[in-house]
Parts: sequence; C-alpha cells; structure tokens
Amino acid sequence: MAATYRKERLDRGIKARSDDIFALASYRDLAYLLLPRLLLIGGLLLVPLLEGVLGLYWLNVILIACTIALLALSWDLLASVGLISLGHSLFFGVGSYIAGALNYSLGWSPLLTLPVAMVAGALICTLLIYPILRLRGIYFALITLALPLLFMRVIEATKILGGTEGLSSLSPLPGQPLVLYIVLAAVLVCFFGYRRLIDSDYGLVLRAINDNDRSVMASGINIYHYKAQAVFIAALPATFAGAFLTHHYRIVGMPAFSLEYSILPLTSVIVGGQGSFAGALLGALLLVPVSESLRAFGTLRVVLYSVMLVIFTVGLPEGIFPYIRRKYHQFERPVPVEEGS
Amino acid sequence: MKRGIFALFALVLVTSLISACGAAPQQEQAAPAAEPIVIGVPTALGSIEGADALRAVEMAVEEINAAGGVSVGDEKRPFKVVSIDTREHEAGIPVHDALAAVEKLILEEEPDAIVVGAFRSEVLMASMDLISEHKIPYITSIAMTPAFQQKITEDYDSYKYLFRNSNNAIFFTGYIIQTMNYLGQEFGFNKVYILYQDVLWATGTANGVEGWLNENGWEVVGKDAYPIGATDFSSSLTKAGEAGVQVIVPIFDMPESGILLKDARNMQPPALITGFISPAASASAWDTFEGELDGMVTFSVEVGPVPVQAVPKSVEFNTRYGEKYGADLQSKLSGHGPAPAYDSVYILADAIERAGTLDPDALVTALEATDLEGAVGRIKFSEDHQVIYGTDPKEGALGVAFQWVDGKRIPVFPEAAAEGKIALPEGLQ
Amino acid sequence: MIVSILIYGLVNSVILILTALGFSLTLGLSRVANFAHGGIYVSSGLVAWLLLRRVGLPYPLALLLTVLISGLLGALIYRLILIRVRGIELSEVIATFAVGVAILEFFRWLGFVTYEFNLPSFIPGRVDIAGVLIDYQRLFIIGVGLVLALLLWFFSHHTKIGLALRGIAQDEYTALTLGIESDWAATLSVALGSSLTAVAAVTILPLGIISINTGYDVLLIALAVAVVGGLESTVGLVVAGIVLGYAMVITSNFVGPQWMMVVYLVAIVLVLAIRPSGILGQFKELEERV
Repeated sequence: MAATYRKERLDRGIKARSDDIFALASYRDLAYLLLPRLLLIGGLLLVPLLEGVLGLYWLNVILIACTIALLALSWDLLASVGLISLGHSLFFGVGSYIAGALNYSLGWSPLLTLPVAMVAGALICTLLIYPILRLRGIYFALITLALPLLFMRVIEATKILGGTEGLSSLSPLPGQPLVLYIVLAAVLVCFFGYRRLIDSDYGLVLRAINDNDRSVMASGINIYHYKAQAVFIAALPATFAGAFLTHHYRIVGMPAFSLEYSILPLTSVIVGGQGSFAGALLGALLLVPVSESLRAFGTLRVVLYSVMLVIFTVGLPEGIFPYIRRKYHQFERPVPVEEGS
Repeated sequence: MKRGIFALFALVLVTSLISACGAAPQQEQAAPAAEPIVIGVPTALGSIEGADALRAVEMAVEEINAAGGVSVGDEKRPFKVVSIDTREHEAGIPVHDALAAVEKLILEEEPDAIVVGAFRSEVLMASMDLISEHKIPYITSIAMTPAFQQKITEDYDSYKYLFRNSNNAIFFTGYIIQTMNYLGQEFGFNKVYILYQDVLWATGTANGVEGWLNENGWEVVGKDAYPIGATDFSSSLTKAGEAGVQVIVPIFDMPESGILLKDARNMQPPALITGFISPAASASAWDTFEGELDGMVTFSVEVGPVPVQAVPKSVEFNTRYGEKYGADLQSKLSGHGPAPAYDSVYILADAIERAGTLDPDALVTALEATDLEGAVGRIKFSEDHQVIYGTDPKEGALGVAFQWVDGKRIPVFPEAAAEGKIALPEGLQ
Repeated sequence: MIVSILIYGLVNSVILILTALGFSLTLGLSRVANFAHGGIYVSSGLVAWLLLRRVGLPYPLALLLTVLISGLLGALIYRLILIRVRGIELSEVIATFAVGVAILEFFRWLGFVTYEFNLPSFIPGRVDIAGVLIDYQRLFIIGVGLVLALLLWFFSHHTKIGLALRGIAQDEYTALTLGIESDWAATLSVALGSSLTAVAAVTILPLGIISINTGYDVLLIALAVAVVGGLESTVGLVVAGIVLGYAMVITSNFVGPQWMMVVYLVAIVLVLAIRPSGILGQFKELEERV
C-alpha cells in the first residue's frame, strides 16, 4: 500500500541555534539574525543615491511610500492595543494643518513647524480621542471614520484655515535626496522604536489590553491611561507624516482629511500583515509604487486596490510578512503518516 | 487558496511594474521625420470640460501638422500631444495627487509647453510653483480664479511662464453684471437670489456679482454656497420663492447642479434663471433635461461651443469639431474650455514661429506680444498674462449669454453677438 | 416658510429612512455589516438606467428587475465574501466597504458621470399643497417610505422569517438548536437588505442625477440613522430619520446649506460617544463599553 504523507513544519537548525543560545556561536548565526535588518536599513538608505537609475519621479514616489509607511506603522501600533481606526487621516490632517497654519500665519520655518506639529498634533488627537476610548470594537472604528470627514466639512463650512482653498505657497523642504533621507530616517527610527516598544514590558501591557482588557483592569492597571499613551505614541509618526507632506507639496487643504489617507495605511497593513511592524512597512513600500505604476489606468487603480483589499481581508488575513517570516525561520518536509493502530 | 492569492498578487505586481516601464501617459503619434514639439495636457480628463479640451487640442494639432508643422528657426517640426488625467474634478481627490500627476508628466515626457492646464483653481494655484521651477510655458484654459493673475504680478520673474487664454472670473462676472443690468433696465427687476458652488472661481464670481447688485439698486435676497456634490437645493429655492425674486443666478460647474434646474421648476412664483450651470450649456442638454430648460439664460463662457456669427472662427471651430468627432460629441461640447484649448495650440505655434526657438524665456516674450484671431475672438494678453475679454469681437475675446428657446440656443448678449432678445418665461411678465 | 420647512423636512426625513432601511435590516436585524451599501445603492440606479435606456424595457419592468438583481448582488456578496469572515466584525466592515468602493469606482471608470445618467420621475408633474409646490415624485417617496417602514416592522416582529433573522442576531447557537441555519438566514437578510436599498435608490434617484459621489454619502447617512436610532429597532430608525431629517432642513434654512452635511456626522460622533446603543436601541450590552 502507498504510504500517505503529511507536511511537517520545523524550525530551521540555524534558527534554533541562534534563537535560544545567547552567546552566538558563529558568524553564520550572526548573519542569520542581522541580515534581514541590515538589508532593510542598507537598502532603504541606498535608494536616494540611485537617482540616476530611478529618476526623480520614482524618488518622489518612494518619498510618498515612506509617508504612508509612517501612517501604516502608526496604525499597526494602535491595532496592537486593540484600537482599530478607520480614520487615520484624522492624525494626518491635524498634523498637516498645524504645520501649514504655523508656517502661513507665523512664518516659522519647517525646522520648527515639523517638530511642533508632530507633538502638538499628537496631543490634540489624543485629547480628541480620549473621551471615546471607552468604546470597543466596531463602535470605536465608526467614530474614527466619522471624525476626519466631520473636520473636513467643518473647515469647508466655516472657511477657517483657508477653507476650500487651503493654504498655499508654504515654505519648501530641501530638495532630493536630502528630503528623502529625512523621511527614511523617520521611518527607520519609528519602525525599530516601535518594535522595541512592543517587546518591552510596557508593550506587554499594551498587548494584554488587546487580548483581554478586563484581566488587565483586574490587575489594578488603569487601561485608559495606557490606551491614551498608546494613542499619543502612535499619533507621533502620523502627524509628522502630515506636516512633512504639507511642506513637501507646499500646500495644505481639506483633502488632508480625505478617505484616501485612511484607506492607504489600512490596506498596507492588511496586505503586509498586522502585528509585526515589518508587515506594515513592507505593505506600504510595496503598495504605493504599485499603485503609482498603475496610474495610467486612472480610476481603475482604486478598483484594483479595493479588490486586493477584499482578497487579502478574506483570503489571507495574516498578510504577506508572516508568510515570508515563516519561510525564513521554518522549513517543511513530508512525513509519512503512521497507520492507525 | 493562499498559494493562489500569492500567485495573483505576484502577477499583479509584475504586470504593473512592466506596464510602468512601458506605459507612459497617453500619446498621440505625430508625423515622423523632424523631432516633434511636445505639448503636455495635464487636466481632469474625466470632466466634460477637460475631455472636450483635449479633443480640441488634438484637433488643432492635427490641422497644424497637416499644414506642415511649425517653423522653429528654419526647421519645420510637428506637434505631439501627451496627456495625463489628474482627476481633480472629483470631490475629495487630494490636490497632492493631481500635482503628482502633473509632475509625472513633466518629468517623464519633458514637454516644451503645457496647454489646457488645471481644472480646479485650487490645483492651478498649487501648480504654479511646480511650473515655475521647471520653466515650462503654460497656457491654462479652464481654471478661472483671478488670484492666478495676482500671483503673476506679485512675482513676475518666477511666474512669467504662466498664461491664461480662457475667460476668468472677473470678466465673467462682468458679463453676468451686464446681463443683470439689462434685465433691470428692460423689465424693472430688482430682486435676486444667488446660489453658487463652494469653489474658488464661483465664490469670486458670486462675490463680484453681489457687490455690483447691492450698489445698483437690486435686493439680494440670499446668497448660498453649496459644497461639491450637494444634491439638495430646495431650501434656497423655497426662500427665493417666498421673497418673490424675479431672477435666480446659479454659478456651478458640477454635474449635480442639473438638479437645481429640476427643483427650480417647483418654484412659485417662477423666476428667470440666469447663470452658469455646466450641464445646461451644451447643445445636447435640451434632450437630457427633457425640455425643462426652456427660458433659461446661461453662458457659454467662451464662444465656440455656441457658434456666433460675429466671430467666424467660432463657427469654423464648431463645424470642424463636428466633422472630426461626429455630431453627438459636437452637441455635447461643454460651454467652457474647448475653444480656448483649440486656440492655445495656435497661439503657441504663432509664438514659436515669431521667437524662432523653443527657449522658454524667448517664448514668454513672444507670447506676451500675441495678437491673433482665434475661435474666441481677438486674442491679446494683458500685462498679467490674461487674454482680454470684452463685448466687441474686433477688440478682444468673447463670452456669450444665450437663452434656451424651443430647443435652440439663441445668443442674447453681448450685443455684437446677439441674435435675439431675452424673452421672459410665463408668469413673470 | 414654516409650511415649506414642514413639508420638505418630512420629505428629507423619509428619504433618510428609506436610505437606511436596507442597511438597518442587515446590520440591525442580523448583525451582518454590509458596508457595500453605497455601492449597491448607486449600482441599482445605474442598472435601472441601463435597463431603461440601453435595453429599452418599460419603466416598471426595469424597476422590478433592478430590485431583483440587487437582491442577487447582495446574496452574492454574502456567499463570496462575508461568509468567510462571519463573526469578525471588523473584517466584515473592511471587506464590504472595499467591495462598495470597488463597485463605485468601477462605474466611475466606465464613465457614468455626466448629467445624462438620471432616472425619469414615475409621474411627472407637480401639485400645490398649502401654497408649496411639490412634485409627485416627492409625494411618492413619502408614501413608499412609510409603507416600507411599516412592512419592515411587521416583517421583523410578526413573520417567521423575520423572527428567525432576529434570532440569529440575538443568540446564534440557540437559534441553531431551533433549526435556524445561520448562513441561510444571513444570506436572506443581506439579499433583502440589498433589495430594499434598490427600492430606495430607484425611488429617490429620479429627484436628481445618479452621481457616484452620493454612494459615499449614502453609506454615512445610513450609518448615522441606524446608529442614532439604535440597531435592531425599526421604530428607532423612523424616529432617528425624522429627527435627523428635520435637523438637516432646519440647519440648511437657518444656518446655511454648507452645514447640512455636518449634521449627520456630528450626530454619529455624539451618539456614539454618549449613548452608543442609540435612542431606542436594544443592544445595551456591556460589550459596547468597558
């Protein structure tokens, strides 16, 4: 009789060796651990130097991809605490408008407006969201969906901050490649910072709030303070991204609160994989250039986007990155199934 | 299942990267041999005005190339059109996205000049910095805000590359005002209600009209702004009806504004509708609105889509458009954009021949000296790079107000172009 | 002035109620989130237009077919997509929302964006009521809306199928033990919801044009009405519709038309922040707030 086989997944030898034993045995183990990270950092830092090969246009695209990556990382952190936001453009827009307003009316240079917009924006967003932190699941998501649209309509109706016209002719940022390095540095700091954070004890509390908030409460921890802090920390890269793009394009307007800045990071994280920040980064760096290259298709591009979002949400909820990580750490082999006795 | 999804994703990735290398913005092959002069058209190709303008540009390019091309110095070179869709006419599209599209066109196609330009005034203002950075002569034919000219005057050296040959909000306001003046003097009307779209050009126009009306004995019962995409105008119309206004002035360029016309029929007592509702300006609008347009006075912001005997080239333009694209598209010509877009190619050709070179600064000087007969009338630029619109086609360019009577568009204003007089709807005598 | 506000307010309220009916049926009665609501709304309008103008069917037949097709579309959405993420509310929301966007943008890409795409009124003409001219289509809307609301209430409280749908929402396992199959009930509820949305679309769209942008607004409006009124309660839906409808018309008249759209967004935020179960909601579970 032919034997039937099943697939068995095992950790690779090198993973087992380099994982548990703290003293690394060889350069091979070192390389196994460091290579992915070095590749990422090296690769990203090399990109601005490739201006001759890629052209100015694609460097701009990578810049946009990095700002979306910042938004995606921010979304991922909030999701790790259990707060799913369908309106991330709130953070983006608040950051954009603060930077734009400071530059327009007070004439501050980007060196000042960027950090101020980042911190002040994060504070304002935290204060806005604090009252609704008690809500869970879908209710929280619905409010976050409505908030940026509300802001957009209010600005349109009251005509403050430039109204429908927006504020234009703001101060520019230094040109390529320096500006790309700035945003790349922000992405890398945010990425590795968040990973450290979520692995630390503080991050453990955050993840626990996601898993079972009542047990955390029962341990005597005030989850609202932790949630609010998480919102603040998550808002920082998002408001930075908003302020950054404001100065890059030298204009800020109602579209800063548009649905697009909520959907793009959401799609990136779902495609890349939620939980590990690498998935968010990967998703953004993949999706934005692909979307740009599809520009020739016009509106069909949004259709393809949405279809991809559906396919990934339904068929591959954990995203691409966990798949890649599994392939890197584990291997599969067929193993004969024992005949039942 | 998962493998299938990965395979699909990889396929999408590969196809899009390949298409990125191969696909550029849509191109049109011009005559080979000499190196073509590249004309870029970055605009909202999904809007009626944008799509018609692109067709008008391509028609002009075809005509010029068929006649041998443009002499640059002693070499004859053909034109080539490249376009990209900025999607800026849709509600909620970030200005950033539109700018990225314009930038893509500039970086990839390296156009020698850009025509048609931005659809939304907000995008136009945002593009000015981009254009001045790349030093490309830019003739816009759709966006109407006067802030454009202000910026050029404030910083001539940076923004001298930008020109506009379509009507602008100031002249357009002038046309509306003169029509209102006629209505006041001829029929003794004095009550009006203004409804406008909450975008730069319409707000400017509405404010200008309101200001004149207030100073000239009219009672402006109300002035309401509607955001893009609004579909319910009943509150303004009921207020207008209650106050017994005789004239309603709508200023809209979104397709939803057609709803306004439908709702206005519910008004009691009826009022004369005099303004700009973009879906009501084309010849095919009569059928689309099922005759509900009767009596409305609307503007063709430039002549051309409405052929006017006093400007023979406008008739030529209209007929040739019909010959090239068919009667259906001819009847759908939108009231703003196609004629100046057509002219802008000829303006460019004329300037290039006079300058003898494609150097941007030389072109700018040549453009400033333009004096041409076009589909919009006589084309001359003012000091702030705006074509002058007036009431005499021999002196300047022309916009026209026409009234829908029995399915036909009868030009009623200005007098040089008029082929009939404004007739009042029933119930308003 | 008062009369016209009363009448137009009523029309607006019924429009809101109609728009939210289909959405509320699926979300409220069976806890299946179908955020493709906007896409189904606009696609029904365009399908009706296509059947009427391109295929040349008589108007009533085209409308009937549209309702059926939308029902099928809803069932398809459930079978292909929702069934795989049933229970994970967030994934349901994201997946259906993406489907809605895909449908809307697909039609936009095909070019259905000019004024030409409008549906004719059922009965053209106007009538004078207490000094206010109002067209027959608006009267039709009031009639259809109220009748449908009544039918929905009757359906959900007094018919076996309706009770089955509510049972699935309240306690799925108990319903299963009683022989109510969850997937069948959910498919039915999504299909019915889509059909109701189609009815709403073909009744309301003749007032204006079939504009793709209204797809996004429709979803928000339906959400606002459902949330303010409280999920699961048809009476709450009607009350919320009336409150929001009049609020919008009064704001438009006294404050300014630009503020109209702000009203329902503010309503969503306020209600969710202060009283998430809505005015007459019955899901006052501890699950909402901690």
